[in-house]
Amino acid sequence: MTASPPPRPGEEGDRPPVGGSWAVLYAGVIANLVLLVVLFSVLARTFR
Amino acid sequence: MKTADWLVLAGTLTFIVVYGTWKTRRQRNLDSFVLAGHSLPWWMVALSVMATQASAITFLSTPGQAFKDGLGFVQFYFGLPLAMVVLSITAVPIYHRLKVLTAYEYLERRFDARTRALAAGLFLVQRGLATGLTIYAPSVVLSVLLDWPVSVTTAGVGLLVIVYTATGGSRAVSVTQLQQMLVILSGMGLALVAILRLLPHDVSFSEAVAVAGVSGKLNAVDFSFDLSNRYNFWSGLIGGFFLALSYFGTDQSQVGRYLSGRSITQSRLGLLFNGLAKVPMQFLILFVGAMVFVVYQFVPPPAHFNPVESRRLAAGPLRAEYAEAEGEHRAAVDERRAAVGRYLAARRDGSPAAEGAARDAIRAAGTRYDSARERVSALVRKSNPLSDGRDTNYVFLRFVLENLPTGLVGLILAAVFSAAMSSASAELTALASTTVVDGYKRFVRPDATDAHYVAVSRRATVLWGVVAVAFAQFASKLGTLVEAVNVLGSLFYGTILGIFLVAFYAKSVGGRAVFGAALISEAAVLLLFACTKVSFLWFNVVGCLLVVALALLLQVARGEAAGRSLEPAA
Repeated sequence: MTASPPPRPGEEGDRPPVGGSWAVLYAGVIANLVLLVVLFSVLARTFR
Repeated sequence: MKTADWLVLAGTLTFIVVYGTWKTRRQRNLDSFVLAGHSLPWWMVALSVMATQASAITFLSTPGQAFKDGLGFVQFYFGLPLAMVVLSITAVPIYHRLKVLTAYEYLERRFDARTRALAAGLFLVQRGLATGLTIYAPSVVLSVLLDWPVSVTTAGVGLLVIVYTATGGSRAVSVTQLQQMLVILSGMGLALVAILRLLPHDVSFSEAVAVAGVSGKLNAVDFSFDLSNRYNFWSGLIGGFFLALSYFGTDQSQVGRYLSGRSITQSRLGLLFNGLAKVPMQFLILFVGAMVFVVYQFVPPPAHFNPVESRRLAAGPLRAEYAEAEGEHRAAVDERRAAVGRYLAARRDGSPAAEGAARDAIRAAGTRYDSARERVSALVRKSNPLSDGRDTNYVFLRFVLENLPTGLVGLILAAVFSAAMSSASAELTALASTTVVDGYKRFVRPDATDAHYVAVSRRATVLWGVVAVAFAQFASKLGTLVEAVNVLGSLFYGTILGIFLVAFYAKSVGGRAVFGAALISEAAVLLLFACTKVSFLWFNVVGCLLVVALALLLQVARGEAAGRSLEPAA
C-alpha cells in the first residue's frame, strides 16, 4: 500500500476545512443556485 | 446634504484611507505590491473578490435598473456560481503552482511571448476604459452634491483613487476591503429598512411586494429563449457563465485578488463563497430598487432624476415644453396612484374582479408614465447634446438625498464611495501590474531590482489613472453604467477566455495557431457588436468558442509543432 503524496508547499492538503471533500462544496454551490432560481420563479409567479 | 451626513461620509472615508495606507507603509517588493505576498485567508479573498466586482456602479445604477426594468437583471449573475466551481477546479491550482504574478505570464510559458502580449494588451484596453466608468460613478454623486460639473468631480475622484492605490498597491486594497464591505452591506441593509418605513402606515410589506409585482418589477426569471433579449435565464446562465469565467479566470483585477490567498485551498474557498453570496447580494440590491419604485407610488417622483438636467431644462429655452411634459408626467403619476389605491382596497376586500380591473389600470397608467418620462428624456437630449437623456444612474441617488434620514444619507454615500475606491484601486493595481510584469519587465528591463519595479508600478498606476479619468469624460453618453461596463468587457472577454481555454485543455495547439485564431475571433466579435442586435452576453460565448475552434483548425492546417504543456502533475 502506498501513502498519498504530501501536500505541495503552500497547500493545506486536498481536503477542504468543511464538507469533507471539494465535490460536496461544489455541489452545494450549484444546489444554492438552483434553489435561488426556484425561489425567484415562485416570487415572480405569486406576485404578477 | 446636512452637516451630519458630511461628517459621516468624510469620517468613514478618512478612516479607510488612513488605515489602508498605514497598514501597508512598508511594502518593498513586487510580489507584495501585486499579490499581497500570497498571505490572505479565504474570507479576505472572498471579501476582496466581491468588493472588487461591487463598484459604485453596483450601488448607483443597479437599483435604478430595477426601478426601470424590474429584477430581471439578476439573471445576468446565474452563470457566476458555475464559473466559480470551474475556476476552483482548473485555474486556481494551475496559477498557484506555477507561481505566476499575472494570468498572462502563464500564456508565455504555455505558448509564446506574442500570445502573452496580445492577451495582456486586450485586457489593458478593456480594463483601462472600464476603470473610467468605475471612477465616473462616484463623480456623478459628487457632481449632484456639490453642483459642480461632472468633469471636475471625475478628476477629483480620480486623483484620490490614484494616490491611494499608488501608495498602497494590492495590500492596501485588501486590508481595507473588510471595512469597505461592512460599510457597503450595512448601508444597503439600512437603506432597505428606511425605504420600507417610508411606505404609508396602512401599506404592509406584502402589499408593497404585490404592487411591485403587478407593475412588472418582480420578473426575476424569464425562461424564454431570445438572442436579442438582454436578460433571460439562458443568456444569464450560458452567456453569464462565459462572462464570469473570463472575468474571474483571466482578468488580472480578479486573478490578482484570489492569487493573494495564502494557498490553493484559501483561494478556492474565497471563490466558492463568492459563488454562494453573489446572486442573493445582487437580488437584495435590485429589490431595494423595486421598493424605491413602490415608494414612488405614494411619494411624487421627479419627472427626471438628474437634478442638474432638470434645472437646465426649467431655466432654458425649452422650459415651456418641459412644463408641458412635467404636467403630463404628474397626471400619469396621479392616475397610477389612484389605481394602486383601488388595487390595494380590492385586495383587502377580497374582490378578484375589482383587483383585476385595478391591475389593468395600473399597467395602463404605467405605460403613460413611461411615455411622459421618455418625452422629458428627449427634451434633455435636445437641451444637452452631450447627454443621452437617460436618468437610471440618478434614481437611487436622488431618492436617498431627498427621502432618507440624516446620518443614513452620509452612510449610504460612504458605501458608494467605498465601493468605488475598492474596485477602482483593484483595477488600477491590476493595470499597473500587467503593464510592469507583462510589458516593462518582460520586454524593456528584465533584470532590475524589485524596488525599481515597485517604483515603475506606482508610475504605471498614475498613468492608467489618467487614462481612466480621460475616458470617464465620455461616460455620460453611454447610458446605464452597469450595462455599459459589462458590454465593454464582453467585447474582449470571449477572445481572452478562448486563449486560456486552449492553453488549459488543447495541449496539441501551439502559439501561432492560437494567436491567429484570437485575432480573427476578436474581429468577428467587434463586427457582431457593430452590425447585429445580438445581446452582449452572447459575445462571450461566440468569441470564446471561435478562438477554440479556429485554433484547432489552424493547428491542423499548419501542422505546427505542438504547444508546450505546463500543467504540473496533479
